[in-house]
Amino acid sequence: MKNLNHKTRHFIVDPRSKFLILLLNSIFVFGGAGGAHPMMLPIRHVLIAIPLFFLLFEGKGKSACIAALGYAFFYIIQVTYFGLTKGLLNHMLLFSIGFFVRILPNVMAAYYLISTTTVSELISAMERMRFSNYLIIPIIVMMRFFPVVIEESNAVADAMRMRDVRFGGKKISKLLEYRFIPMITCSVKVGEELSASAIARGLGSPMKRTNICNIGFRGIDFFVFVFGILTIIVFSTTKM
Amino acid sequence: MIKLEDVSFSYATAKEKSLKNINIEISKGECILLTGESGCGKTTITRLLNGIIPNYYEGKLQGEVLINGNNIKTMELYQMAAIVGSVFQNPKSQFFNSDVKSELAFICENMGMHPKDIEERMRKAIKEFSIEKYIENSVVQLSGGEKQRIACAAVSTPNPIIYVLDEPSSNLDRQGIILLRDSIQKLKNQGFTIVIAEHRLHYLREIADRVIIMDEGEITSTFLAKDFFLLSKEKIEKYGLRSTSFKDIGHKSINKTNFLKNELVFENFIYAHKGQQECLKIDELKIPQNSITAVIGNNGAGKSTFSKCLCGIYKNSGTLTINDEKQKYKKRLSSCYMVMQDVNHQLFTESVIEEVLLSMDQENNERAKEVLEQLDLLPFIERHPVSLSGGQKQRTAIATAIVSERQVIVFDEPTSGLDFRHMKEVAKELKKLSDKGKTILLVTHDLELIFSCCNFIVEIERGIVNSAYPLYGNTRKLIDYFEIGGNAVEEKKVPVPPKKTFYLRG
Repeated sequence: MKNLNHKTRHFIVDPRSKFLILLLNSIFVFGGAGGAHPMMLPIRHVLIAIPLFFLLFEGKGKSACIAALGYAFFYIIQVTYFGLTKGLLNHMLLFSIGFFVRILPNVMAAYYLISTTTVSELISAMERMRFSNYLIIPIIVMMRFFPVVIEESNAVADAMRMRDVRFGGKKISKLLEYRFIPMITCSVKVGEELSASAIARGLGSPMKRTNICNIGFRGIDFFVFVFGILTIIVFSTTKM
Repeated sequence: MIKLEDVSFSYATAKEKSLKNINIEISKGECILLTGESGCGKTTITRLLNGIIPNYYEGKLQGEVLINGNNIKTMELYQMAAIVGSVFQNPKSQFFNSDVKSELAFICENMGMHPKDIEERMRKAIKEFSIEKYIENSVVQLSGGEKQRIACAAVSTPNPIIYVLDEPSSNLDRQGIILLRDSIQKLKNQGFTIVIAEHRLHYLREIADRVIIMDEGEITSTFLAKDFFLLSKEKIEKYGLRSTSFKDIGHKSINKTNFLKNELVFENFIYAHKGQQECLKIDELKIPQNSITAVIGNNGAGKSTFSKCLCGIYKNSGTLTINDEKQKYKKRLSSCYMVMQDVNHQLFTESVIEEVLLSMDQENNERAKEVLEQLDLLPFIERHPVSLSGGQKQRTAIATAIVSERQVIVFDEPTSGLDFRHMKEVAKELKKLSDKGKTILLVTHDLELIFSCCNFIVEIERGIVNSAYPLYGNTRKLIDYFEIGGNAVEEKKVPVPPKKTFYLRG
């Protein structure tokens, strides 16, 4: 979860719309629902473009552009050259296309959701979607915990280099073990402190939680929803 | 307000009792300072007061703990949260939200207050603690002191009547402590009851009303603060406590050290994090070989960056010359060593002996045992490093540094949150290493530790070396640096020194 300064927040999309974008991307791009029906093709491209466009407006143009270029490149290869190559090259192409054309757009949609939503917005959105507390609390704790794990992992990596435990150094067979064991013990400790602090601040009380952040549907959310409905209509016509 | 009657407690995982027959009565508006050696039970008491025990940490609780007339056994944690505000030791792990604003609203939101009401309370807290300028910030952008101030402000929003602070200063630099002291003073002025568990005592001189000293789960003595802060240095040390004042910190015992002629020369230590401004820019710095050098400076001044560059963890960062040998970062990865603040990051294996053998070029059991014996670790050689105490882990890391024949050893905050006895033990280890001919750099905020073992000082400010001088003859200067004077909450502008090279003086 990123912090967002108000300066960069001229473009606000409701977290529920972001969820919808992610869901649609998972089903129709990653899952490939609708198959190779010609009508699905433009729909898919719009689905892929939406999170990238929104990322552009949120000031994350660089990653959006890289993803868009990667997608475009491999998409063109897929429709032009694929099948003309053989052997290892073919396998590598297959793998790359699979990643860039199917998985990457989904990753970007998830990245968009996570990197542009504050924790409290997310809680608020999940509450309005009538998620149970039993689901919300684990999700937000997990979100809070990710950066901790990354930080601990980096510190361990530094120590490993200093102690010459690396590829080409000592004990290559134990690289994974040496990386994960300290990372896990340290993360568990931080996690324990984190939960102690959170419950001492009243998280998990049976009272209905309120929220000060203003989430709500705006014009842009309307567009996302209309497009979502359109996608489903097109999908059902392909089945007929 | 708070009443502990004959309270005993043992954690579910421990055999020993952490608290034995504790009786404390605290009246409204009092500020209590709980102190004592590590493991004396002061943190356990704070956990009882904010209800984390017995609701989160499980164990066997005997006796009665009454908060505002209510027994904690019958209260739920969320009810406690409304009357007791808790500030914890580690700013990194006590925030739940990534932005200051959500953090301020967090407790009230959890209690289901109306958003309008929450906004009103937030406005009040922001005004009370003068934190307007941080309100749009992300928590990671704040310094340690600012974080603790935000924590105080955040827990004040539901209007608790009791504040419990568990070692709030242990990660703070000089300015952080000034901010923290000011925050606590503000709470006290409003007439709240405050309980602080703490090692560092000097900053609470004018705030505490009563001081409770504990040892092994028992209260050994209770003082009125005005009497306590008059106690002599010897008495305080006998209790195993840190100095109550910088005046009698023992600088008179510092002897002149004759440094070796040889010097470590750091050249072009310049580093910038990806896409950011340079946070370290040292053109040239010389420190005597075989010295114990304290690297001081505020949080964010570039001390950690400097030590990481020194150990070669950051790439392409300057040249270090030892004994006329120029060392680039790759070479330094194997000639310098860092004992990290959280030693857990650098212990990988399943036993202490394996840990030491891993660091050797040629595994040599005899030599490993010899080093471990010197560090009093021989009885633990088959133990898993995770099961050791903090000090033992630290010594294990030192052992790995010794056997890998490193010339320079960097310690990153080895005594943050340590009591007097453990601090002295660390100082002893450092001196031993220095006697063996190692050059030691010590990143620290701990003035007592510096006086216990260091002989050279490097002061870093905003990525540049502000000054470098031997400790002997400059103790006054150092004390002035650490002294917390007046209400200097505003950040002082440190003039950039015109000279870029620092040579030895004296």
